[in-house]
Amino acid sequence: MKVTGARELPIKPERAWELLQDPNVLSKAIPGCQSLVRIGDNQYELKLKMLLASLSGDFLGKVTLTDHEAPTKFRMIVEGSGKIGFLKGEGVLTLSSTPQGTEVAYDGEAQIGGKMASVGQRLVDTTAKLMIKRFFKKLVKQGFGQDPDMEDEEETDDV
Amino acid sequence: MIPNSFEYSAPASLSEALGLIAAGGKPLGGGMSLIPMMKLRLAAPEHLVDIGRLAELSYIRESAEGIHIGAGCTHFAVESSALLMGKCPLIAETAAYIGDIQVRNMGTIGGSVAHADPAADYPAALQALEATIVLKSAKKERKVSAAKFFIDTFTTALKEDEIVSEIIVPLEAGLTGTSYQKFLQPASGFAIVGVAARARREGGKISLIRVGVTGLSGNSFRATKVEEALLDSAGTDAEVTAAAAHATDGADASSDLHASAEYRSHLARVYTARAINAALSRTA
Repeated sequence: MKVTGARELPIKPERAWELLQDPNVLSKAIPGCQSLVRIGDNQYELKLKMLLASLSGDFLGKVTLTDHEAPTKFRMIVEGSGKIGFLKGEGVLTLSSTPQGTEVAYDGEAQIGGKMASVGQRLVDTTAKLMIKRFFKKLVKQGFGQDPDMEDEEETDDV
Repeated sequence: MIPNSFEYSAPASLSEALGLIAAGGKPLGGGMSLIPMMKLRLAAPEHLVDIGRLAELSYIRESAEGIHIGAGCTHFAVESSALLMGKCPLIAETAAYIGDIQVRNMGTIGGSVAHADPAADYPAALQALEATIVLKSAKKERKVSAAKFFIDTFTTALKEDEIVSEIIVPLEAGLTGTSYQKFLQPASGFAIVGVAARARREGGKISLIRVGVTGLSGNSFRATKVEEALLDSAGTDAEVTAAAAHATDGADASSDLHASAEYRSHLARVYTARAINAALSRTA
């Protein structure tokens, strides 16, 4: 499956680059990340608990950041597996300056297999897009020093 | 195909159910989405609170505000309700398109809406009807518009301790014409694309037009660009076709083995035109 797209972030490219290289920030931005532990140069062990509505699954994997061309380009490799399946993804992230901030374009390829792919084929694409959306949303919040768990706690009528 | 072990409660009242849910129970409606996921062990809730059997949530009644559909109504109850068929036929027509008769006899409107599958049928109709979704927890009740309720794939405005308790649809038989048009995936019955249209014509001109789209992307949405293009027009075939071309504006079309993003987008435009034409032909 191709994973391509772009997100505009309201922060400067240098700041966006910094955030994307910081394991503390990544661990808070990756949806469901339980821990991200350094195991080598730009290599991290990732523990993930995917939670989406009633769907849930634990994954154990590795994140590698490589081919750095600061502050515009790097490659991210994510692999993980768990009881409900495995995922493998690799892509190049390109940062460019825009009047509003930074455009982060991603172009990659993801493979999802096992049970979650065989029974959930119909939902793999939308779910992947949702996770990427959440990742960037949380990343931006990290950039502004806000707690990503502080979602809008509006409890009144919203018609 | 055997789920993890779990606790099961079938409370006798809604207040008891909301208490159990506040304590961490997972609400169960008709079980048409959650149970299969549990059997595959993709979902493993520890405590299910069965609200699908509560008589308190199973009603369809009229008030000045609109028609209130209790969350526990099955799709078949919605599809066969004389009140809905007479006064808000779009929701009844949409319910009749869901899955197969076995699913419609078990699945509930509240369960489907709360699950928010990106290819579910109801969201298109609820968007076009500008319906209101009533959410209830042990502490309080609040109302959210369909446009704000559906946030993304499986993601809604619902909080952990809340359930969908009721859907309110407008009363407007005779005033508007409506239609739901769906291109379905034959094995699952889910919409590859589904479009609901609601239109009113006054003095030969379209005075109200609402278009809800499901299945195209990760979330249902109102095709406002289509609506803007058609408002105040006569609604000729050419005008409808031209407006329907905007159905995919700004949408991030999904792709799977059943339909590529390009094909899905094409279907969305074709089915938008069909739904609008059918709705217009039903206006007074």
